[in-house]
Amino acid sequence: MKKQTTEYSIIVDNVYKKFKLVYDKPFTLKERLVFWNKTKVGYHEVLKGINLKIKKGETVALIGVNGSGKSTLLKLMTKIIYPTSGKITTNGKLTSLLELGAGFHPDFTGRENIYFNASIFGLTAAEIDARVQDIIDFSELGEFIEAPVRTYSSGMYMRLAFSVAINVDAEILLIDEILAVGDQHFQDKCFAKLQELKKSDKTIVIVSHSLNSIKKLCDRAVWLHEGQIREDGQTNKVIEDYLKVCG
Amino acid sequence: MLKELYQYRQLLKSNVRKEIRGKYKGSFLGVLWSFVNPLLMTLVYAIVFPFLLKSSQPHYTTFIVIAVLPWTWFTTTISQGTSTILANGGIIKKVYFPREILPISVVTSGLVNFLISCLIIAIFLICSGIGFSPYLVFLPIVIILQYMFQLGLILITSAINVYVRDAEYIINFFVSMLFYATPVLYSMSMFPGWVQKILRLNPMTTIIESYRNIFYYQTAPDFMMLGFVFIVSIVVLWLGFVIFKKLEKGFAEEL
Repeated sequence: MKKQTTEYSIIVDNVYKKFKLVYDKPFTLKERLVFWNKTKVGYHEVLKGINLKIKKGETVALIGVNGSGKSTLLKLMTKIIYPTSGKITTNGKLTSLLELGAGFHPDFTGRENIYFNASIFGLTAAEIDARVQDIIDFSELGEFIEAPVRTYSSGMYMRLAFSVAINVDAEILLIDEILAVGDQHFQDKCFAKLQELKKSDKTIVIVSHSLNSIKKLCDRAVWLHEGQIREDGQTNKVIEDYLKVCG
Repeated sequence: MLKELYQYRQLLKSNVRKEIRGKYKGSFLGVLWSFVNPLLMTLVYAIVFPFLLKSSQPHYTTFIVIAVLPWTWFTTTISQGTSTILANGGIIKKVYFPREILPISVVTSGLVNFLISCLIIAIFLICSGIGFSPYLVFLPIVIILQYMFQLGLILITSAINVYVRDAEYIINFFVSMLFYATPVLYSMSMFPGWVQKILRLNPMTTIIESYRNIFYYQTAPDFMMLGFVFIVSIVVLWLGFVIFKKLEKGFAEEL
C-alpha cells in the first residue's frame, strides 16, 4: 500500500460528480421561503465512475468533446470542487493553471502581484524572493513590472500570470487549455518550458483541443466521452481513434 | 489543518496587506480613512450625546473613543467578513488554497488597524490627563479574546452567506442593533442589576468594558466575566471551523 502511494501522483478512484441544476436559484431568504420545494431541480451527472491512475513523471492529456467532463475532472483534482462520491488522492505539491491571473489585483504592480499570486500557490516569502527574477525574465515584461497591472495589455497580463504559475516548482501541474498564451514567440517559449518540466520528472495533466501540441508533449492520452473514460493509452493511438469518431 | 495554514502563511500575509492597502487605493487619505472614520464618529457622539443623556462622565470624549475604536474593529470585521467569500468568488473558483485564509485575513487586517488606532487612544489618554495604568499588561488578553470571538463569528456568517445571500443584511442589521446593547456610549452603572446581567450575555459588553477598565478607569478587568467570554469564544470558534469546513466544499459551485 505504501508503495502504491509513492508511485502514483494522482489516483482517481471511482469518482462520480453530479451538478445540481437549479432553475431560478433561490438566493434570498424570501425566494427560499416563497418557492419552498417549488424550484425545479435537475441533476446533471458530469462524471460517471472515473478510475484513473497517473504515475509520477507522466505527462497525460485529457481529450474529448466539449462537455465531456475534462475540466470538471481537473477541478476535482485541484480540490476546487469535491466529488459526489469516490475519492481523489494527490501526492505532492500541486499547481493548477485553470485560469490565468486569478487573484491579480489591478492596482498593484506586476511585482507585487507576483508575490500575491505565488503565495496563492502556497509559496513562502523566501521561496518567492528566490524565484522573482526568473519569473520577471520569463515574462519579458522588463520595466513594466513596476507598473500597475491595470495598465497591462491582455497579452502582458497573460504572460505574467503564466510565468508565475510555471515557475512555482510544483510536482504536479494541471493545465486547462491555456497553451495559447501570447504571441507565437511566447507560445514557443511556454512549450519549451513545459518540455523542460516534463524532463525534470514533473507530473503534468493537460486538457487541450490542440491535438498537435499534445502529440508532441504527452506520452499518454485519456479520452473522456460523456463522463466516462472511452480510451486510455498511447497518445497517437488515442488521438487517431478520437478523430475517427469526433473528427 | 494548522499545518496547511502555516504553509500558506505568505498568502495570509499578502492578503492582509491587500485588505489594508487595497481598500483605500485611489482615495486621497488612503489608509488614514480607517482612523478618520471612527474619529469623526466619536466627534459626533461627543457633541450629540451629552445633550441627550445627562451624563456626568468626566472626559466623555475619551470615554467614548476607547469604546468606539474596538467597536469599529468589530463592525468592520463582521460586515467585511460576512461578504469575504462572495467577494473573493473569482479566486475561489479558480485556485485551491485553504479557504479559512479569507476570514482570518479580514480579522487580522482589522487587528492591525486596531493596534495602530491604539495610538489614538494613547493620545486621548495623555491629553485628558488620565495617563496610563499598569493594568495595560492585561490588554493583550482582551485583544486576543475579541480576535477569537470575531473569527468564530465570521467563519459562520461568511460560509452561510454563500448559500443564503440575505445573511449579510440580517447580520448587518443585527450588528447595528447590538451597538445599543453594548456599552459604547454609556456605562453599565447607569442600569439596575438585572439589566446589567442581560447585557453581559453579549460578549462584546465585557470586551468593551474591559478596554474601559484598562484605559479609562485604570482597574483590572473583571476576570470572571472574561472567563465567560473565553468559553463563549472557544465554543463559537470551534463551531465556526466545523460549519466552515462543512460548507466550504460547495463554495466553488454555489458562487
